[in-house]
Amino acid sequence: MGVLESAWVIARRDFVATVWSRSFILFLLAPLILFAFVLFAAQMAEDAERSASQPVVAIVADSDTVARLDAARRELVEGTGERLFPVLRSVPPAENLAVQARRLLADQEESYSGVFNGTIDHPFLTGPTRIDEGVGDRLQLIVDQARRARALEAAGAAPVAAPIERVVTEQAAGNLQMLRRKLASVGQGMIFGITLMLATLLLSNLVEEKSNKVIEVLAAAVPLDAVFYGKLIAMLGISAVGLSLWAGMAFLGYVLFQVLQDWMTLPDVSPAVGWPAFGLLLLLYYCANFMLLGGLFLGIGGQASNIRDIQTISMPVTLLQVMVFLLAINVVGREGDALAWFAYVFPFSSPLAMVAHAAKYETLWPHLVALVWQAAWVALIVRVSARMFRRTVLKSSPGGAFFSLAALRRRRA
Amino acid sequence: MSDVLAIEAQGLFKSFDGNPAVRGIDIAVPEGSIYGILGPNGAGKTTTLRMLLGIIEPDDGHRTLLGRERPLEVAKIVGYLPEERGLYPAMTTRDAIAFMGALRGLPLEVGRKRAEILLKENGLGDYVAKPIRSLSKGMAQTIQLFGTIVHKPKLVVLDEPFSGLDAINQGRLEHLIREEAAAGTTIIFSTHVISHAERLCERIAIIGRGRVRFEGLVAEARDRLRPQVRLRTRAADGSWRAALPAGARVTGGVWEFELPKEGVEPLLKALIDGGAGIEELSIERPGLHDAFVAIAGEAVAREMEESERAEMEAAA
Repeated sequence: MGVLESAWVIARRDFVATVWSRSFILFLLAPLILFAFVLFAAQMAEDAERSASQPVVAIVADSDTVARLDAARRELVEGTGERLFPVLRSVPPAENLAVQARRLLADQEESYSGVFNGTIDHPFLTGPTRIDEGVGDRLQLIVDQARRARALEAAGAAPVAAPIERVVTEQAAGNLQMLRRKLASVGQGMIFGITLMLATLLLSNLVEEKSNKVIEVLAAAVPLDAVFYGKLIAMLGISAVGLSLWAGMAFLGYVLFQVLQDWMTLPDVSPAVGWPAFGLLLLLYYCANFMLLGGLFLGIGGQASNIRDIQTISMPVTLLQVMVFLLAINVVGREGDALAWFAYVFPFSSPLAMVAHAAKYETLWPHLVALVWQAAWVALIVRVSARMFRRTVLKSSPGGAFFSLAALRRRRA
Repeated sequence: MSDVLAIEAQGLFKSFDGNPAVRGIDIAVPEGSIYGILGPNGAGKTTTLRMLLGIIEPDDGHRTLLGRERPLEVAKIVGYLPEERGLYPAMTTRDAIAFMGALRGLPLEVGRKRAEILLKENGLGDYVAKPIRSLSKGMAQTIQLFGTIVHKPKLVVLDEPFSGLDAINQGRLEHLIREEAAAGTTIIFSTHVISHAERLCERIAIIGRGRVRFEGLVAEARDRLRPQVRLRTRAADGSWRAALPAGARVTGGVWEFELPKEGVEPLLKALIDGGAGIEELSIERPGLHDAFVAIAGEAVAREMEESERAEMEAAA
């Protein structure tokens, strides 16, 4: 049997065994759980930060001053955002303002950052020095706004809004480039995220065959390259099942939110190569990225003798992926410098870098070159991984694993 | 037996981390024969088989498998049962057998049908859809053996096939091996249990410490030793004693010695003429075990006995 035919037999077995296992349901749910967790954590963090870090200023002033300051803050918040300005809380004045200010600042329950008194013409802020940089500056904006509003009111002039009238064009070059860069980043992020999720599965893929000794049966029947290709193809198929499900759910979620709340609007942008070509290239580069990193991880994981070894090497492997991702991200913002070229040519960053290229540039031939280049590297990595596996694992010497210190000593001896 | 060789190996040499495991093995397995590789644990049997199958490459020497120097080229017509049994625990017995066939080019559907037939013919019909993890060790081993022959190979390589099996399953396996051989399949198996080789094999190779000590017909191995004579006489002494060969020894009134080259008739005549008064005389053809001891040497034979004992203890 040829390598492809043998690889297909192995891929089919691995695919069916994985997809029909109960743990695959957990795998499918993992991104949803992760997404829900991130949303929840972000919400919790925001709430916590809001309550913990938004300063509160006690306003010890007459009712007119309090009303003007509140109105001015409202106007400013409308245009900029709630969290930029300190919360103002009115406190009735006591007889001795200095004593009251000290008491308010010492109040652990209310946690005031400063105490404002006086009027908008003669404002005073009592508090530690460092509040002047943040709270003080913003309080100054509120006071200034209150004073402008009072002046207009006194002159009998009401502020009239002059909304900007929009003249809609097809695109603006700067805007288009910015959106395409974002598109490139999204494409890279998607490929990186999914490959990262599957990395541990790839690392531990050969451990099953090694632990239940099936590898001996496989090695006697088919070329080891076919075992590696089969496993990669199976994992690619498994990820395709996951991707289809996740993409379908994301689309449904988008439609749902769009219908219910008009929550999201996708930017009106198309990648430089056009959507159909971009979609196809995204898919091809995902496959290439998966096969390149997968072949490497399978090769590394094949040297591990047990799950403990896999756990040990998971961290450096994840870091390697992150480094490659960072290298590829670099291409999004750079044009033709040495680092960008390195990212295009270095096989492990090439697929991600070329996704950015597809988003930014119209030319298609570089993609053909890149895909051939990446395919050649996949073949090379699989060949080297299979050779290493045969040399270090199948030689049947005791503890013949790459990571075994004892084996290393023996080899040196 | 055919003159055509299914396997031919010359000067196979393999060392691991500088320690030689196999030191120049020569074997020749005729097509259609049952061939045994005998030796104690650690003799180099598994390494030899793995080199023959191309799982590992020899450091030196060369081998041909069904006429090809690259064993994977004939993988479709070879079956292999490794020493360390390997099956996917979650697979059903039928799928496990069919998968092993598919690895050797047998279409999956055909493999499934043949698996069902094999299981039913061997009284395991109830286990067709049972996962491997639910089977006993012996039964799982039987399933793997079915997987080894499901694609109807021309050559079957079995590494320690009797290891871990109880007496009944060992008998079944011997029967299966004979059936396959009767259908024209070449069988080569390694074992450290001489009795299996003695019952099944036409040719054997005795390996000790990485070297072939003997290679040829089982009968030739036995013929290395002269038949043994056991003699009990009424007379304790007399001129008949001169007819006994030099190495004759007596234990409890029974003489034991090798049959002289001249044969039994001159011996009998000399004993009768010398007034020995023969009470009992038997001539025993030496067993393969005796031949093994004589060929491989006491030390290797002792290692073999230890391997057998360990095997029996493990099976118990």
